[in-house]
Amino acid sequence: MDIDEFFKRPTPLFILILLIVILIAKLLRLETTDYLITIMFFIGIAMALNIIMGFAGYVSFGHTVFLGISGYVFALLVYYNRDFANLMNMYSGIPIFFIALLAGGVSALVAFLVGIPVLKLKGAFFAIATIGLDFAALYIIKAFIPILNPEFFGAQIILPAYALAYKDNVFVAMYITFALIIIANYLIRRSRFGMGLLAISEDEDAAEALGVPTTKYKLISFALSAFFTGMLGAVFGLNSGGVDENLFNLAHTIDMIVMIVIGGIGTVMGPLVGSIIYFILYDTLLVTYPEFNLVILGFIVAVIVLFAPRGVVGILRGKQFMGKKLRDIIE
Amino acid sequence: MDEKEIIKIHNVTKRFGGLVALDKVTFNIYKGEILGIIGPNGAGKTTLFNCITGVYRPDDGKIFFNGLDITGKPPHRITQLGIVKTHQIVKPFNEFTVLENAMIGALFGRRAGKISKDEAREIALKNLELVGLIEKKDELASGLTLHEKKFLELARALSAEPEVILLDEALAGLNPKEVEESLDIVRMINKELGKTIVMVEHVMHAVMNVANRIVVLHFGKLLAEGSPKEVAEMPEVITAYLGDKDLALKFVKR
Amino acid sequence: MTILTDLLINLTSGFLWGTVLGAVSVGLTLIWGVMKVVNLAHGESILLGAYVVSALYLFLNVDPLLAMFVALVSGLLLGFAIYWLGLHKIIGHVDVVTLRIEMSTLLEMFAISIILYNIYSFLTRSEPFGIGIWHLTPISYINLGYMSIQVNHLTAAALSLVATFIIYQFISKTPTGKAIRAVMQDSQAAALVGINPVRIKMLTTVISIGFTAFSGFLVVLYESAVVPSISYKYAPLAFTIVVLGGLGSIIGSYIAGIIIGVTYGVSKVIFSVLVSKNASDPLALTMAFIILVLTLLLKPEGLFGVKR
Repeated sequence: MDIDEFFKRPTPLFILILLIVILIAKLLRLETTDYLITIMFFIGIAMALNIIMGFAGYVSFGHTVFLGISGYVFALLVYYNRDFANLMNMYSGIPIFFIALLAGGVSALVAFLVGIPVLKLKGAFFAIATIGLDFAALYIIKAFIPILNPEFFGAQIILPAYALAYKDNVFVAMYITFALIIIANYLIRRSRFGMGLLAISEDEDAAEALGVPTTKYKLISFALSAFFTGMLGAVFGLNSGGVDENLFNLAHTIDMIVMIVIGGIGTVMGPLVGSIIYFILYDTLLVTYPEFNLVILGFIVAVIVLFAPRGVVGILRGKQFMGKKLRDIIE
Repeated sequence: MDEKEIIKIHNVTKRFGGLVALDKVTFNIYKGEILGIIGPNGAGKTTLFNCITGVYRPDDGKIFFNGLDITGKPPHRITQLGIVKTHQIVKPFNEFTVLENAMIGALFGRRAGKISKDEAREIALKNLELVGLIEKKDELASGLTLHEKKFLELARALSAEPEVILLDEALAGLNPKEVEESLDIVRMINKELGKTIVMVEHVMHAVMNVANRIVVLHFGKLLAEGSPKEVAEMPEVITAYLGDKDLALKFVKR
Repeated sequence: MTILTDLLINLTSGFLWGTVLGAVSVGLTLIWGVMKVVNLAHGESILLGAYVVSALYLFLNVDPLLAMFVALVSGLLLGFAIYWLGLHKIIGHVDVVTLRIEMSTLLEMFAISIILYNIYSFLTRSEPFGIGIWHLTPISYINLGYMSIQVNHLTAAALSLVATFIIYQFISKTPTGKAIRAVMQDSQAAALVGINPVRIKMLTTVISIGFTAFSGFLVVLYESAVVPSISYKYAPLAFTIVVLGGLGSIIGSYIAGIIIGVTYGVSKVIFSVLVSKNASDPLALTMAFIILVLTLLLKPEGLFGVKR
């Protein structure tokens, strides 16, 4: 893509600005490192789920299972392997990224194997099956982690001091992961693969009849989505100093889905904008109405589903802007 | 029309529970022809299409395309080999523009993976031009009329650059003027682009007029095969389907 | 204690819990089967009934056997509100529910579940809340040799059977019930014979949520106290049970509930021998979800469902 076209399309520009803003905020210490890591985690999980839910149209309610699996894999790797633990504070956090890749790979593998049967299910049945998988994985972890090592408190693994990383290093790992996820989203959306996925979300039978290898595409997008979600779970677990069963908490599913619904399904901009709005809302509501912030968010989602099924970005898509359809600009 | 078979249907049987939808059906489809498949409701026409395009796997029998056994291959493989079907109930990708709909056909069709997005756009535009939807290329498919959606199905199928196009009741629900328009396009695709066309149709006079050859299915069996005129005169066809010989001949003449 | 007595005890308690699970799933199978609405607020509808009964008992000293009718009414009202505020705009006037509409209703119910869940958390501060030591008879346990059974568990089982029988009779015998079944089988055809689909959809929502809230009373009877997060336990199990029993089948749900309960009880014993006592409970619950995925793949229409 040449430079001119790059600046004509706001999505890559927006991604670039977002990445630069986070970097500046970090370098100038405008926000705490913890806060920035959390923002990237939030936007990241929305963008990771977007690959299967936004593009292929398969609403997965059990995506937290991959946060959990990779979170635990990462924690166990650094807990039991001194070599890995020593890497936590070397080379400014880049090794953390690579171990997270490994942990994400485990989630991708699980997603691939589970996806072969489960992706045959459509619509609500798929959603319900993913909830089932999430709980199955949660209960299995609850059962086996305490057996693995009696020092673990229940299913909780607290990382020992030697396996903890400096915040700056976690930031670097999270930043690379985050950039990887949103750039992957953009590349997928622009690719033939992405068009195939969107065709699947519109009408799977018609897509197959037109030559889209639907089974393969669904599997790849599910595994990719799980891979990225898993990487985030791994780095976030390290940031929290350990993992517990809360990684499997459906609350994270709520976060992911709400962000995509607010922004709008089927685009890169949608969940990106949605997650930023969500984060700002969550933050301000949390300060002003700590007890009711989720109730209010629930209302917002209920209203959006009823009156703007394609989210904030969906509303804009239909509008004209400077003589051009906004739809063309946004994508 | 050269007498070289492009699709061979050999002894194909398909059962649904106790119901035999197709019973040892055997016939050939020749390169460059327009073949009409007719028969009363439940005769197995759509089932046959679904067997050819891989939606169903036949319980028995084989289907060959250019000498290659395609029995039981998944639908997207068959599309990529060069057989495309348009749907009886139109299935446009509603949130896609008209152009994007056609581009999907090009990107995943015969030259799947070997075609750039720009080439795909060119092919899509050419085919939208052909079916007369070029002015609407940037509109969302959901906004089209039924008639236009049927043309979009056709443009999408053509963009896959198939050798054979299967039209499943492409004329159903259209008014007489739209039927005529559609038939002109079907003839043109056949003559100028050299595509083999197989059509399942209920609009009798249309199919009798446009087809070179007719295959009649009846309760899942092959009842007759021949030119429209021959078929219309066969007594068993008349009793089974057309009912009345004069009426049948009238269809051919129109 | 031998494994055999252990097995017998868990079989019994699993069976009793299963009847409660069965009744809890009946409302879900109705709304999902008839309207294709995946009620992700099912757990919160259960909690409504549980909280209404507990609050009336704790604050106003109302007998739970009386309060259970208030729970039912509160559920009917919630169903009424959910239909007109949340669902009507999406499905009120559509005959064929497409995948997209199904996803919309699913997300809408999801939003409602977030709202209710957090209201409960706020009001109860996520503390356990329930009917405590209330029980029907002067004694709270029945002793049978090695085994002792809680009277409340028996009461819950008996009430679940009666309630399920009543709603089954309602759906299969009354004109309204017949209309609901007609819409379930073919909503377009039902409209042709003069059934008002909007009215039926509204009634189905009301009845489904109403019955679910009533079943919340059975849950609090069984558990003696509830916390909001208990919906994360019961709702996924209810989905499993509905799929296993077959969408729309009331009897199917009740029997599938018992199957899941018994499976839980038996596998708990097996896992406590094979793995460990502590791991047996989570692993036994895992079995339910393995059954769910297997059913979806091998027999998606469920045990008593209609093949589509």
